Amino acid sequence: MTIGSEIVERELVLKAQKGDRNAFNDLVRTHATGVMNVVFRMCGDTQVAEDAAQETFIRAWSNLGSFRVDASLRNWLYRIALNIATDMLRKEKRILPGDLEDFYLPDPQLGPEGTYIQTEQTALVQKAISSLPEASRAVLVLKEYGELSYREIADALDIPIGTVMSRLNYARRLLKESLQEHMLVLMEAEHV
Amino acid sequence: MSNHITEWLNAYLDGELKNGRLHQVEAHLAECRECQSELDSLQSLSNLLHAEPAPEFISTERFAAQVNLRLPHTSPVESKRSALEFGWWMIPVSLLLLWIFLGTFSVVSRVVATANDLGLLRGVPAWLVPNSSQQAEWSGTLEEFGLLNGNNLGWAEFTETFTRNRLPQVIWQVSIALVYLSWMALLWVRHSSRKNGQLLES
Repeated sequence: MTIGSEIVERELVLKAQKGDRNAFNDLVRTHATGVMNVVFRMCGDTQVAEDAAQETFIRAWSNLGSFRVDASLRNWLYRIALNIATDMLRKEKRILPGDLEDFYLPDPQLGPEGTYIQTEQTALVQKAISSLPEASRAVLVLKEYGELSYREIADALDIPIGTVMSRLNYARRLLKESLQEHMLVLMEAEHV
Repeated sequence: MSNHITEWLNAYLDGELKNGRLHQVEAHLAECRECQSELDSLQSLSNLLHAEPAPEFISTERFAAQVNLRLPHTSPVESKRSALEFGWWMIPVSLLLLWIFLGTFSVVSRVVATANDLGLLRGVPAWLVPNSSQQAEWSGTLEEFGLLNGNNLGWAEFTETFTRNRLPQVIWQVSIALVYLSWMALLWVRHSSRKNGQLLES
């Protein structure tokens, strides 16, 4: 985020804190995709991701008064989103991406066979992520898809940086084990 | 090669290492094929995760509109603040009402007691009339504590009347006054801090 956009965002937050719904709407538009993506990677279901993302912004609106404007809104939203997603998953037990092919846009240049392989690979990767322990999954998702630094993840999840590192190492080790075959294919393709 | 640095490879890959640790890992990677291979596999994993196409979500505009529809109509920040403000100003009002109620109760009970002494309360429910056995109990209690000892009958009568009629009044009036004064002190602190805040903002 550039300094200019940070200033604009801070002004929007200040306005929203005073009850300006249009300003809050602008913030929703800015962060909607990021929040939905993080929640989706956490739970593997687009419908749950959209519901959790909506709930995230509603809860954010309700608690905006307690948000410090000098803090990162994105990190705060991700934190709320992960909490909501975790609660939803525990309640609904909707995790596995059985219908993932319904939700992805396959690359039209791949052809029918390529599309099939891509969809299958996508489903396997998401299944591997979804099967990680919650705590490690949250750290991995924030790093890989939220693009947060270790410090930001530590702040968002309220854990020490050392814990961020150990959970990330653990999550990647598990993923490497479950996706070894696909990684080999990818590595070979990269070396060709 | 011993002393592998595998626990630092993730942080190295993520660009989180600095200064001495970064140089240490780079120097080790230049010499250790095992760690270099581990780093390559981590890089492949990261590529695989990022090779995933983004899911097809609802459009941002539609999403924002849906959120907007579900937002509470009033700003929760304001409504929370106004609820607190309402509760804050209800404190002195409640104290005043309590003071009026207890004062009225005290006056009425004294009138009833006087009327009872004059024999004007025949046929009135028993709970309205001060019970003579309760009064006797109270006198007994005072005597136990040695407050009615001595030859001065006037002093004993004063003590009994004061502790039975006046002391409760004094206690509740002082309690209400203390709560009210505390509220006034907090009000003063709030106003002072608000003034300081305005000075800092200007």
